[in-house]
Amino acid sequence: MDTPAAPAPLLQLENVQMHFPVREGLFLRSQRSCRAVDGVSLQLRAGETLGLVGESGCGKSTLGKCIVRLHQPTAGRILFAGTDLATLGQTALKPWRRHLQMVFQDPVESLNARHTVGEIVAEPFVIHGEGDARERRERVLGLLDKVGLPAAAADRYPFEFSGGQRQRIGIARALALRPRLLVCDEPVSALDVSIQSQVLNLLLDLQRELGLSYLFIAHNLAVVKHVSDRIAIMYLGRIVELAPADELYASPRHPYTRALLSAIPRPDPRGTRERIVLQGDVPSPINPPAGCPFHPRCPHATDRCRVEAPALRPAPGHADHTVSCHLDL
Amino acid sequence: MNLPRLRLDPLTRKKLQRFRSIRRGYVSFLILATAVVLSLAAELLVNSRALVVRHEGRWHFPTYGRIHTGKEFGLDYAYEVNYRELRRKFAADPAGKNWVLLPPVPYNPLENCHPGETFRPRPPDWARQNFLGTDQINRDILARLVYGFRNALVFAAAFLVLTYVVGIGLGCLMGYFGGWFDLLVQRLIEIWSNIPFLFVVIIVASIVPAGIGMNLGVLLAIVVLFSWTGMTYYMRSATYREKARDYVHAAQVLGASTPRILFRHILPNVLSTIVTFIPFTIASSISALTALDFLGFGLPPPTPSWGELLRQGTSNLQSPWIVASAFSALVLVLVLVTFIGEAIREAFDPKKFTLYQ
Repeated sequence: MDTPAAPAPLLQLENVQMHFPVREGLFLRSQRSCRAVDGVSLQLRAGETLGLVGESGCGKSTLGKCIVRLHQPTAGRILFAGTDLATLGQTALKPWRRHLQMVFQDPVESLNARHTVGEIVAEPFVIHGEGDARERRERVLGLLDKVGLPAAAADRYPFEFSGGQRQRIGIARALALRPRLLVCDEPVSALDVSIQSQVLNLLLDLQRELGLSYLFIAHNLAVVKHVSDRIAIMYLGRIVELAPADELYASPRHPYTRALLSAIPRPDPRGTRERIVLQGDVPSPINPPAGCPFHPRCPHATDRCRVEAPALRPAPGHADHTVSCHLDL
Repeated sequence: MNLPRLRLDPLTRKKLQRFRSIRRGYVSFLILATAVVLSLAAELLVNSRALVVRHEGRWHFPTYGRIHTGKEFGLDYAYEVNYRELRRKFAADPAGKNWVLLPPVPYNPLENCHPGETFRPRPPDWARQNFLGTDQINRDILARLVYGFRNALVFAAAFLVLTYVVGIGLGCLMGYFGGWFDLLVQRLIEIWSNIPFLFVVIIVASIVPAGIGMNLGVLLAIVVLFSWTGMTYYMRSATYREKARDYVHAAQVLGASTPRILFRHILPNVLSTIVTFIPFTIASSISALTALDFLGFGLPPPTPSWGELLRQGTSNLQSPWIVASAFSALVLVLVLVTFIGEAIREAFDPKKFTLYQ
């Protein structure tokens, strides 16, 4: 692949939708669907880290899985370096797979317990027919070294390693084919807090060294702030706010973002900070509310919010900061 | 005891260690394994042909070699030598350097041990080396037990391989592809498994052309045809469970082909639990064959079989050695297999290996 030309984004999502049919009744016909991802558009530039934040069930993992095409999106386009991956079949997709890889949440689940670490990390080479046995072995050792594991690890089994080490194995596997984009699906949330920063720093070092782009999915805002250039906030399958990281933390525009930010624990002995506690639960994505999806829980909801769904629009005075809210808060 | 060059993953090694530490199952396994090995060498232990014949300074090994006629050893007939008779003749010769070494049971399972005499069951006679007596047409019961065991083993092994290949293959595909394919095959399986098996066997037995006969192959085909369905249920759900796990997703993201995911990733993770089914499948296939033979729909006579011995025994209860031998052998083997199965199930119990963090 050539170097990305001028300003074209590496990854561009256009109105991506992922609706899962809900099968029920005697004949398992699907009348309703679960709108896990409901029209997401965003851009990811080469070398950038985009944080994707939202609470459980908001569709952020589903979106990640659509991008690496574990799911076939129901609608929309996934443009990677100008090619739409959303409609490609498995065979046509295979050469693109090397450019988009994924780091999974739970390294216990994502590493096959029956294979040695060497086999796991070498699998990308086998699948894409790269190198002979000796060459693969050399490259596996190189990758293990890159993620900070000893060469002896190659002949051992995943269960012999700690959680952090296992996640390093998963990262080594994802890096094997020199991808340009790494979808990190909560890569540290299954790890001990003491290990989290090590793995995060490893990811940052690798990004600097290899020029990677990250889509960093998380539900922990503190973690995301540490790694992201820009942050997208997701609620009920839609992006409600997207802004550069510092800007988002400094002046959140969407009421949901404000509530999320206020939930970050901060050492504040005087307790002067106002904590926004949202009422109610996240509505079901099978039966999303009319109008703005957030209106049933929004403290500022107006009649307009209950009827008309807001589009993502630039916040006044900030071209980079987009928000989907009718109100100028 | 370790097998350093056999590359097993440590989890499997741990399971085998656990299996060895379960005394009852391990001892049963050793006994049964010995019996299987011995039955594979049955020609050397139970056979009317001699192991070694020393005749006029020359060695002969008739067990696996060509047929020797009586004339070759100085007898007055041109058909196959009766080695028991030859032994008597050589022993009677005072100056003879010739000798015959017969197997411990010098009868084959098909021959009449008392030629020229009336057909009737004869009780055990150690002097004549009929250790368990003879059946109603003068055949040696021990010989028929041993060869019947071997037939049952061949049947069980073939049954196991065939039902598992079909059941695992189809179940795996159902679980992996899901959707309409799964739904359709499931319904077909439900219909199929409701066909009464015994009727089909009876019908097939009556229409199989006489030239082919109801041989082991035909019988195996029928039994397998109606037995593979059970494995699909298990494999289907196990595959459903495995394919939702992230290591499968990771392989998919790497672009692994469907066969690669099935054979390299899902199957190895499912197979370890299937191992626990094997002993019970063997036990059930041996009892199925015995039952069919008992009913007369099994292997054609004069094939040695336990079911046929049981039938003879139950209709000749005044000669209890027949039914006693067949019954004890059957119970012994089934109990051993069940002990092994229990030990494997316990050794492979996933609860023992799951770590909660």
